[in-house]
Amino acid sequence: MSLQEKMKEAIIEWDEDGLKEMCKSAIENKEASAAELLSYIGDIMRFIGEQFENEEIFLPDLIGSADTVKSIIDEILDPAIRAAGEEKKTKGKVVLGTVESDVHSIGKDLVGSFLFSNGFEVFNLGVDVPAAKFIEKAEEVGAQIIAMSSLLTMSMDFQRKLISELEKRGIRDNFKVIVGGSPTSDEWADEIGADGWADDAIEAVSLVNKILNS
Amino acid sequence: MKINKLEVLSKDEIETIHAASIKLLEKVGIKVDAPDCRQLLKDNGAEVDEHSNFVKFPEILVKEQLKHVPDSFKLYGRDGSFSFEVNTHSTQFGTIGTPVRIYDPSNKRGYRKVVLDDNIKQIRIVDSTENIMASHIDVWPSDVKYLTVHTECIYVWAKNTRKPYGGGCYGRVASKDMIDMMSLLVGGEEELTKRPRMIGFMNPTSPLHLPILMTNGLEVFAKYKQPTIVAPEALAGTSAPVTMAGLLAQTNAEILAGIVVAQLYNPGAPVFFGTVSHSTDMRSGNSAIGSVETGLMTAGIAQLARFYNIPSRGLGAVTDSKCFDIQNGLERYQTLMLAALAGINYITCAGTYEATLAEALELVLIDDEIVGMINRAFNGIDVNEDTIGLDVIEKVATETKPGATFLSEKHTRNYMKKELYMPTLMNRNRRTTWRKKGEKDIIMSASEKVEQILKYFTEFEIPPDMDKEIKAFMKMVGERTYDYFREAEGMSADSVTLPDGIEIREDK
Repeated sequence: MSLQEKMKEAIIEWDEDGLKEMCKSAIENKEASAAELLSYIGDIMRFIGEQFENEEIFLPDLIGSADTVKSIIDEILDPAIRAAGEEKKTKGKVVLGTVESDVHSIGKDLVGSFLFSNGFEVFNLGVDVPAAKFIEKAEEVGAQIIAMSSLLTMSMDFQRKLISELEKRGIRDNFKVIVGGSPTSDEWADEIGADGWADDAIEAVSLVNKILNS
Repeated sequence: MKINKLEVLSKDEIETIHAASIKLLEKVGIKVDAPDCRQLLKDNGAEVDEHSNFVKFPEILVKEQLKHVPDSFKLYGRDGSFSFEVNTHSTQFGTIGTPVRIYDPSNKRGYRKVVLDDNIKQIRIVDSTENIMASHIDVWPSDVKYLTVHTECIYVWAKNTRKPYGGGCYGRVASKDMIDMMSLLVGGEEELTKRPRMIGFMNPTSPLHLPILMTNGLEVFAKYKQPTIVAPEALAGTSAPVTMAGLLAQTNAEILAGIVVAQLYNPGAPVFFGTVSHSTDMRSGNSAIGSVETGLMTAGIAQLARFYNIPSRGLGAVTDSKCFDIQNGLERYQTLMLAALAGINYITCAGTYEATLAEALELVLIDDEIVGMINRAFNGIDVNEDTIGLDVIEKVATETKPGATFLSEKHTRNYMKKELYMPTLMNRNRRTTWRKKGEKDIIMSASEKVEQILKYFTEFEIPPDMDKEIKAFMKMVGERTYDYFREAEGMSADSVTLPDGIEIREDK
């Protein structure tokens, strides 16, 4: 079995320890560089994503695999790439969170996992995230996209607040702002001056792809 | 625990209905048209009135004959690779209905007459389903000579499904043809008798009448031990009392009479304790098959069948609706769920609408999915330490990393398929995704699935020598005349009553 095949099996089986060992020893034995391993993982996640879209596997299969590779990327591959002085290749950087006063995370986390599985680098800030924190993180990592979620009708207005904050600081054009969550809609996104809206995690991936390709 | 069975009768009420049915059988009797059947009953202690043809069944006769009835049997497909068991505690689902129309959106009326090609498509769709266990001569082809429908349909069966088949006990000629043709296809009468392929339908005519064609056909099915459904279609308010208790007592007497006759023909012959009884619409006089009373009546019959320890058959997925509206959906679900909850052992009529006069292949697939949901409901809630999952609750709830959900827990992956029924036709997308994928309603999605299944279906082979023999047999059947048929059945010319909507053509 080739290294790629072994990695694929570990990712599908959620074998985080096994995958970690494989990546560590591959880098040590110079079998593959961290950047190469990252691209293998990208291919495998794309394969799993396609299986999901074709309804051959279910959501937990996809999310569990994404979680399995996430910690390996954070703990092993990213540091190794930085140490080698290489540039990490991603399709784009997205800062993601649920807005201030709202602690609902699942829909937003699904968006994060889907974006991650599709080759984007995702900075998930969690829930109840104040506008300033979104902006700081986006500036720090050089994100192209700020993605905000609200599940509550009462918390929606904080999405508008972030956009005003960007305008106030004179950096509105530095980022594309997208919004989502049950009570939101395309009309809502237009009303607050956001750059896009997605109905669910699958739509969010198409939206981000569309924005970054335009 | 598993879901509790629905009961509509107390123990005492079951006894009361049973006693009333016995009283009907003993005091009024059943009109039996066939002289040889009357003679058989007479030889076994029944009292026959040769003037009115009513036969009075003594209680002891009923009691003795019920002792022979098996409480379980198996049904097989042509090559035996597919089989299922019918017994008094599990629930299986099938088609049945003899619809004469089929859904066709390209026709401006939305339907057209059934042709033999529809039989092929329908049986292939049933074959592809997970939960519908058997086909029958379901759709009734208008382009086939009436006297050869049974043989043409069995030929379609042989080439297009792994599942068992069924047909009406419509006279001894057609019944014996079906047995003979099936025997040729499965390797002989002995094999067919040992491992039955065919479900017979024997319908007493209400009130209290066993017509000649039905007992003639029953004799053949019983002799070859092909499981036969004895199912009256008594209508509350027209062919039976309007009261549910009266409808039950009369239907029960009619079923018992049919079953006694089957056992006299061949002790131990497998039968279903069946019902198609339902109510009459008091505004139009039409039958109301999708009514709530259908479910109530079916539940009562399920309890009586358990009382006699005989596998039951009842209606489900039936509707009076002529289109794909909410009435269609709610009546088919209501009748199906009530029958399943009541513990009916063989629930039929998947794929039909318009009181079983119309068929839609799309509905076959939708019903298959409804049955999947019902099966899930029946598995109930499994309670143990691992299914409660205290560890996983603690783990996810106390996880500090963003993005922790139950989705990425092994507990979820291990249990999701067992705990959650995952439908393929019920749309749960958000509006944007749904819109992007063509704003399809369930019929459109089912149509696509029908198309996919038919596109990839490959016919089953019949060995050339066997095929030659079968074709010769079919040719012989095709050369028969109506006169031959009438004479063989001992009928007077005007005594044939055909299912509603079926046109008899004599091709000369």
